[in-house]
Amino acid sequence: MNRFLHVTDLEKHREALIAAFDPNRTRITLCGGTGCNAQGSIKLVDALKAAVAKHGLSETVDVKVTGCHGFCEKGPVVVIRPANTFYIQVKAEDADELVRVTLKENAVVDRLLYTDPGSGRTILREQDVPFYAKQTRVILAENGHLDPTSIDDYILRGGYSALGKALGSMTPDGVIAEVKKAGLRGRGGAGFSTGTKWELCRKQPGEQKYVICNADEGDPGAYMNRSEIEGNPHLILEGMIVGAYAIGASKAVIYCRAEYPLAIAQLTRGIAQAKERGLLGDDILGSGFSLDIVIKQGAGAFVCGEETALMHSIEGKRGMPTPRPPFPAQSGVFGMPSNINNVETWANVPLIINRGADWFAGIGSEKSKGTKVFSLVGCVNNTGLVEVPFGTSLRTIIEDIGGGTPRGRKFKAAQMGGPSGGCIPAAYIDTPVDYESVQSLGAIVGSGGLVVMDDSTCMVDLAKYFMEFIQSESCGKCIPCREGTRRMKEILDTLTRPRRKEHDIDALLRMQGLMHLKDLAETIKSTALCGLGQTAPNPVLSTLRFFRDEYEAHLYERRCPAGSCKELVGAPCQNGCPVGTEVWRYVAHVGRGEYADAYRVIRDANPFPSACARVCHHPCERSCRAGASGSGEPIAIRTLKRFVVDQVAPTAYRPKIRPSGPHSSTIAVVGGGPAGLTAAHCLSLLGHKVTVFEREAKPGGMLVGAIPAYRLPRERLEAEIASLLNENMEIKLNAALGRDFTVDGLLAEGYKAVYLAIGSHQSKMLDLPNEDAHGILPGISFLKAYNLHGDHLAKGRVGVIGGGNSAMDAARVAFRQDGVENVTMYYRRTRDEMPAYAEEIEAGLAEGISIQELVAPVAVNSKDGRLTGMRFVRNRLSEPDASGRRKPEPIPGSEFEVELDTLIVAISEGPEMAQLEGLSLTKWGTLAANPESFLTSRKGVFAGGDVTTGPSTVIGAIAAGKQAAVMIDRFVTGKLLKIVPKVKLPSVFIEPAGDLEDESTAQPAARVTVPHLPVERRTRNFDEVELCVSEAAACGEARRCMRCDLEFTQPV
Amino acid sequence: MNTLTFEANGRQLEAKQGDTVLEALRCAGISVPTLCHIEGLNPTGACRMCVVEVDGARNLVPSCSFPVAQGMKIKSNSPRVLQARRTIIELLLANHPDDCLYCGRSGRCDLQSLAQDLGVRQRRYRGLKTERDQDVSSPSIVRDPDKCVLCGKCVRICEEIQGVSAIDFIGRGSRSFVGTAFDKGLNVSSCINCGQCVVACPTGALQERSNVEDVLRALADPDVFVVAQHAPAVSVSIAEEFGLAPGADVDGLMVAALRRIGFKRVFDTSFTADLTIMEEGSELAHRVANGGVLPMMTSCSPGWIKFVETFYPEFRPNLSTCKSPQQMMGAIVKTYFAGREGLDPKKIVSVSIMPCTAKKFEAARPEMGRDSAQDVDFVLTTRELAELFRITGVDPSTLQAEAADTPFGERSSAGKLFGATGGVMEAAVRSVHFLLTGRELEDPTIAAARGLDGSKELHVRVGDLEVGAVVVSSLGQARKLLEEIKADGRKDIHFIEVMTCPGGCINGGGQPIGAAKDAVMARMKALYTIDRNAPLRLSHRNASVQRLYDEFLGKPLGEKSHHLLHTHYQERDVMA
Repeated sequence: MNRFLHVTDLEKHREALIAAFDPNRTRITLCGGTGCNAQGSIKLVDALKAAVAKHGLSETVDVKVTGCHGFCEKGPVVVIRPANTFYIQVKAEDADELVRVTLKENAVVDRLLYTDPGSGRTILREQDVPFYAKQTRVILAENGHLDPTSIDDYILRGGYSALGKALGSMTPDGVIAEVKKAGLRGRGGAGFSTGTKWELCRKQPGEQKYVICNADEGDPGAYMNRSEIEGNPHLILEGMIVGAYAIGASKAVIYCRAEYPLAIAQLTRGIAQAKERGLLGDDILGSGFSLDIVIKQGAGAFVCGEETALMHSIEGKRGMPTPRPPFPAQSGVFGMPSNINNVETWANVPLIINRGADWFAGIGSEKSKGTKVFSLVGCVNNTGLVEVPFGTSLRTIIEDIGGGTPRGRKFKAAQMGGPSGGCIPAAYIDTPVDYESVQSLGAIVGSGGLVVMDDSTCMVDLAKYFMEFIQSESCGKCIPCREGTRRMKEILDTLTRPRRKEHDIDALLRMQGLMHLKDLAETIKSTALCGLGQTAPNPVLSTLRFFRDEYEAHLYERRCPAGSCKELVGAPCQNGCPVGTEVWRYVAHVGRGEYADAYRVIRDANPFPSACARVCHHPCERSCRAGASGSGEPIAIRTLKRFVVDQVAPTAYRPKIRPSGPHSSTIAVVGGGPAGLTAAHCLSLLGHKVTVFEREAKPGGMLVGAIPAYRLPRERLEAEIASLLNENMEIKLNAALGRDFTVDGLLAEGYKAVYLAIGSHQSKMLDLPNEDAHGILPGISFLKAYNLHGDHLAKGRVGVIGGGNSAMDAARVAFRQDGVENVTMYYRRTRDEMPAYAEEIEAGLAEGISIQELVAPVAVNSKDGRLTGMRFVRNRLSEPDASGRRKPEPIPGSEFEVELDTLIVAISEGPEMAQLEGLSLTKWGTLAANPESFLTSRKGVFAGGDVTTGPSTVIGAIAAGKQAAVMIDRFVTGKLLKIVPKVKLPSVFIEPAGDLEDESTAQPAARVTVPHLPVERRTRNFDEVELCVSEAAACGEARRCMRCDLEFTQPV
Repeated sequence: MNTLTFEANGRQLEAKQGDTVLEALRCAGISVPTLCHIEGLNPTGACRMCVVEVDGARNLVPSCSFPVAQGMKIKSNSPRVLQARRTIIELLLANHPDDCLYCGRSGRCDLQSLAQDLGVRQRRYRGLKTERDQDVSSPSIVRDPDKCVLCGKCVRICEEIQGVSAIDFIGRGSRSFVGTAFDKGLNVSSCINCGQCVVACPTGALQERSNVEDVLRALADPDVFVVAQHAPAVSVSIAEEFGLAPGADVDGLMVAALRRIGFKRVFDTSFTADLTIMEEGSELAHRVANGGVLPMMTSCSPGWIKFVETFYPEFRPNLSTCKSPQQMMGAIVKTYFAGREGLDPKKIVSVSIMPCTAKKFEAARPEMGRDSAQDVDFVLTTRELAELFRITGVDPSTLQAEAADTPFGERSSAGKLFGATGGVMEAAVRSVHFLLTGRELEDPTIAAARGLDGSKELHVRVGDLEVGAVVVSSLGQARKLLEEIKADGRKDIHFIEVMTCPGGCINGGGQPIGAAKDAVMARMKALYTIDRNAPLRLSHRNASVQRLYDEFLGKPLGEKSHHLLHTHYQERDVMA
């Protein structure tokens, strides 16, 4: 190997390499970074080489192992260049087909292409994949192209030309001036000006100076530096050599953690190659400048990222920081002036020297120049390495490049800068990512760790995780960091831990803890010895700043809003259920074939099992841990409930009724819907005499009035309601508030309390002229007319405005009525945003209903007081607002007319005001009631359900009824209207069904699919559409349960 | 020297250029608490107690490591500063066993007094406390990690002053602790038992292995004859334990007190110091005359002996074969004295009172005894003797001075000088000069050997010979010297005195806690005063020593001496 004695030798060699290089030659590049290696790319290399040989392509095709391509989520990644055909998740078994189809048949292996989850389209070329398309790759530019083991490949692609330029034509001060002018700032965290730092070290007296590369990457979830080294080691070496020249250092150390064996191997090889070529060592390129680079392997301590600790570690001492001054530039490693920069900072240097400070300063934002590589991880679809210019918004990174959060969950916050950083909440998603903006939000750019969190992440838990990390990674030297972080962690522990026997003193201590938390954090911040300690409290301060409500929920309500803190949540399914049903318990019973037991468990918590088995929006399934891990399919809990209620009649459950006594009172419940009936039933069980006043001829409220029979068969509902009645509870039908009786009258009659649960039956209208035209119907009136009286009000061409469940019900009911030709739904956003249940939309479409997305009504067309049609305007979705929601905006000039015979308006409902006279209302026009006590503005009058919340869910109404019953009971028995929240943890052990050992080896079963009545048998009748699953299917599904409860229970 | 002005708590003050903020504030009489600061060593900045507010700095600034600057505005007692200091103490207390009432350091504990001074009156932080087993494996030092505040002073003393590095931090974060290599007992570590760590420790995490109970038991036993010897440096330091100013010599009072609590005989170790000079001086003269291994090195400091055995076994031939004065006394008490008094040596309990924790180790060395009994049975440090006095209710200050017992009570002041660095050298030079030339020095005061400097060199003309001698104290200094000798030979040196502790025994690991440099200086001056005023200043003129030779030993380096007063050294491999 010839040694370059002068810059011209290097350039001659480069010219020769370029001359010999054929840019059109086919190259199969695949990622050989640690991430893809772990996913099988080592085997894949051999398989690809074998396939190339087998198909006789060895002469024309190269297989090239490159560094990390960044798209780690879909690794191993293979790109066929120069066409840039992009394959993902390629396995060794795919190699043969990939080579044959792509290179011999000139076709494409479709199944290995990337599918854009948004559009569902497959993408052929690397540059068209959104993950790459929105990035600006400067540092990582060569990562998918370059063979990191070959110095010639680097030289061919322009490598070491910056070194040649610096040594050949620039003075050290000139290099520093260029770097300063470029505005390069340290990529390790603090963002100090690199040029200034170099200058300080250069100006220090001293014969021997050191430059150091900090490759002790330690943030949880961050691995950009590793990939930068693995993919392009010479770039970092070249940066260091140029830097050493500028500073006047003759020794350099790369401090790399030993857990990065591949990075160390690439660097070791790189150093040897560079030395061999005279690019490193004595008299580099004949310039007289000499530099020796050695690698020091660190044992992997987070604190060794701190400059002084790192230097002590290099010296062979324990990695503990020392106070500054003296600064490293004055007295660094072995007492010599030293300059430390992060891997990525060094990597930027050759680019700046090559392309000039102006080019570099042209990228990025005002004070943060250039690009930054982020390691994008957590709750995001496309995890991987992302390089963007400073100033790019967090939204672009997370949504456009990262593909958003998976499983339709909501983005909640992003943790930037690892444990030393802070979180940026969703409201600030449009923040431009640069040093200053991020810092103003209490986070730091840091070395580039970016952890995305969705709404299932508890911020208290997150803070706890980081404190745990910090307290075990603190070096233990200074007291505030060592002792303080430990106490902070313990305070967070008390917030997330239930106390089985809660005493007042415990609550007080917990409260004290939270009070001291901030003090403690501030003291640590201002007194700790090094950067680690000074930033250690950041995760707590940052989450306290933005998510104080979550801390308060943990503290006061003993509740984890995200459903994540295990000990406050117990079984997530139970925690997710508004009435606290022991879901895990009945699912376990189903798995064991104990259906009566299962029914009892359901019924203990919920008086409406049959209704909920059909129409509940099943928040339990959203919380189900099976849905958050593995295949991501939650247990079909509602389906299992449906199975149970089909097996067991409501009459099988006989609740215990407390006999009447001195504690008994007479209570009036107004409204016979789920909220009212539940409250009445629960109060009757407590021994009170309850009368339910229902306006209609049938009890059930919205269950009977609005929900159609094909979703909730009437005989089922009637049987269920009948089972709730007992000697303490009677229902007076056809008794309307305001018409037949008043609240005053009830109280005067001797009722000790009145519970108003009259629901939200008043449909909101469009507020357009001629809205009173014949043929325009409020949604609820339309549904009630049919459900309660059998009136067919829809005729001919029917339009439905709205996208919620009422609108969907109205559309499907209309479709079943005589004389209806067709039904079209008009919705202002897209189908994805429709609030109606996905399965309902699906079923409606299957039955023949059509949906017009992104339209809004602008005028009613009528003739002689009768509807003839509607005028609509088309909408488009705006850029997302602060809450991330996209608003529909009308597109000017896009108006169009539709001819209609019937228009059903089902956009929203509110309570009927007339009946609420004398009571305070909320600003949304609902009845105001204290959320804890359910008391209205009038003593003795309580309220709950849709009348207070506006149209909501069935289970929400049932929950309101249950809680109101507790409060009304406390009211009439003279107790404080307050209860101490108690954490409900699983306490009953149920032996798991089946042979567990077999299950561990069995393939994970898929979620059960629910059979539906075939479309042709249901479109014109009201037979129940959703059918029950078979016993075998139910048991199988039940046994899929992960049994989170077993963590809390003991076998008896 | 350049001075600068700065402002502290609203007052304009002056400071020396290059001083730290801490030095500047303390100079100005502003007290700043510290836990980890060691005067003379590089600041470590670990405890953060010394933080102050400096105008323009975002965070609080550790005054111990921050240089004072012209025009700097400092607040040393602002609410923010006090809150921070108090929080730090509260955090330490939250991880500290609540057993002050039982702790040997109660009343002399920095943590306790800081908590009091800062007015910590409530428990704001609670939680898990670190629990680690005590290390009672060493004959000299007991480590109680639960009481450790990880200030690191012991680690730094051990490494930077003593060059031993027997202990260091292990583990990370709140699980970090101070321990030996592989976290084994101190007895199998490279610890040389000097006890400097004990003196440095701000809390009760490091204490001497106490023999007070053993001695009390012996004193209460009518069947045994309990004999005491006290080292030269004890009489000038123990007074501090009773509230007297450092440097008061209470020799006679201490002797009286020892008798009051039941010691049958009280001997002065300075007597055997004189004896040591006779043996060691003769040995040096013999080596010089016969081409023996030079330079010869003193052997009276047991920490130093273990240091050589552990780290520099190749220098064992250089060590004088003489036992230390403690062991010489132990040997002759159980042989000559026992015979003279008609006592069964097995019925004698020999207690030595030493400023030293390493002496406990030395007394327990298997070669230091005969007929399966040790020559010295128990060693009490100065601190333990004070405790013994307090337990037994004897207050030396209320007594009348008494003289030590014969035959080993008579001493020259040269022997007494053994208590300070350079003392052995000074005594040796006085006697060697006589042994080699037959003439006395005109002025027995050897100024070049005096003072607290860690390393002193002197050249003395003894007849035809220019004797080169070096006096070092602290093993860090010793290590430096040994390395020099290894590197270039230093052929000009004949004799080296090494004291393990910086300043010698007056600053030993068994001395009263909390002595500042001034106190050590005062102790030293007390020894010099004793010497100046002494009628007998030459070891070879000690008549009792001469009588001992006449009646029992024969002559220096004779047969009996060889058996009783000389020893040998073993190589120690701590990694084995």
